[in-house]
Amino acid sequence: MRKGFALAALLAGLSGQFPISHATGWNMPVGVSQVSRDVYDLHMIIFWICVVIGVVVFGVMFYSLFRYRRSKGAKAAEFHEHTTVEVVWTAIPFLILVAMAIPATATLKNMYDASEADYDVMITGHQWRWQYDYMGEDVTLFSNMSTPKAQIAGTEEKGEHYLLEVDEPLVLPVDRKIRLLTTSADVIHSWWVPDLAVKKDAIPGFVNESWTRIDEPGIYRGQCTELCGKDHGFMPVVVHAMEQEQFDAWLAERKQAAAAEAGGVDREWGLEELVERGEKVYATVCASCHQAEGQGLPPTFPALAGNQALMDDLDRHIDVVVNGVSGSAMASFSGTLSPVDIAAVVTFERNAWGNETGDVVQPADIQALIAP
Amino acid sequence: MWDVIKSVLAAFFGVQQDQRRRKDFEQGKPGAFILIGILLAFLLVVIVFAVALMAAG
Repeated sequence: MRKGFALAALLAGLSGQFPISHATGWNMPVGVSQVSRDVYDLHMIIFWICVVIGVVVFGVMFYSLFRYRRSKGAKAAEFHEHTTVEVVWTAIPFLILVAMAIPATATLKNMYDASEADYDVMITGHQWRWQYDYMGEDVTLFSNMSTPKAQIAGTEEKGEHYLLEVDEPLVLPVDRKIRLLTTSADVIHSWWVPDLAVKKDAIPGFVNESWTRIDEPGIYRGQCTELCGKDHGFMPVVVHAMEQEQFDAWLAERKQAAAAEAGGVDREWGLEELVERGEKVYATVCASCHQAEGQGLPPTFPALAGNQALMDDLDRHIDVVVNGVSGSAMASFSGTLSPVDIAAVVTFERNAWGNETGDVVQPADIQALIAP
Repeated sequence: MWDVIKSVLAAFFGVQQDQRRRKDFEQGKPGAFILIGILLAFLLVVIVFAVALMAAG
């Protein structure tokens, strides 16, 4: 028994001397919240318990194999059942498991306590982007991956944050309790940021709660971690944590931008400005299925370039984008794109890649269609 | 009765003396073991539930 303690002490000493740093890429991150540090500590405690058990069990086994080998004349004991030994080797693992369960349960309980939050953010998974609603603030963000297609195709050198960069990160203040409400508009996604120790399934029809309180300003990256279709690998999560004053300024700016955007619906738009805007919307939202040049991926994702049915029927074109196509991969965009964006992208599609219809769709008409 | 309870608890734990096992199979009634087994399983659930409530509490 004393040897066991000595070994445990040695291992504890070693672990202090040579911490298995996550910087080596071999371990999970310590993270930037109290919960993430608790999770990391639990992970390390349980890891070292497993190491000690492994060393003791295999040590005794290999020692016995060697010390009592047959060539030295050892004879096997021939007893059947030994109640005391059996009770001991059943009780010890039981006690170890209970000892591990107590701190683990305390941490889990804390992780599930999303009450008394300072801010509520609704996270909605879409194929393939994240939507962030700052509840009660009237601010909504759509977070699309911003890694250029050329890097993915390999024709351009991959950047530092390859596949882990977005156009609109989730912006959060530090030292505030943020309640995260996770759901999905289509299939099951999962919102995961290792540095926050938050990993929550986004399930259509359900709202899952979690929370975080970030200690340090910074940019924290994660991914969708539930296989959700073709571009599952292309919907990263980026959280930008900043000081409260900065966050307040950002939020005020966003509110203004949202108001300006809403005002944009009422005015008359020209063909060129719609096409210019539509091209951007197309690249972030539509191109993953219908492809960069509108050539599509038939039969699942039809071509838009040179599509006569599309060019002939403007109303049907708008209807498909606004309401989606039931039973197909085409989603409804009435909730995820603004009326201006829908008008712009439809106008773009009707005036790009040789589709020269000259049609101009006004945001006000789309607005009337969505909210008559 | 007490012997049946002890045997059922030994089964819960997963360790039983060979001598006692033989005795149970020779003299015990199956119905008694099943009844005590169900009652003790219910008691176990109640205990786990109570512990969970206390921990959450």
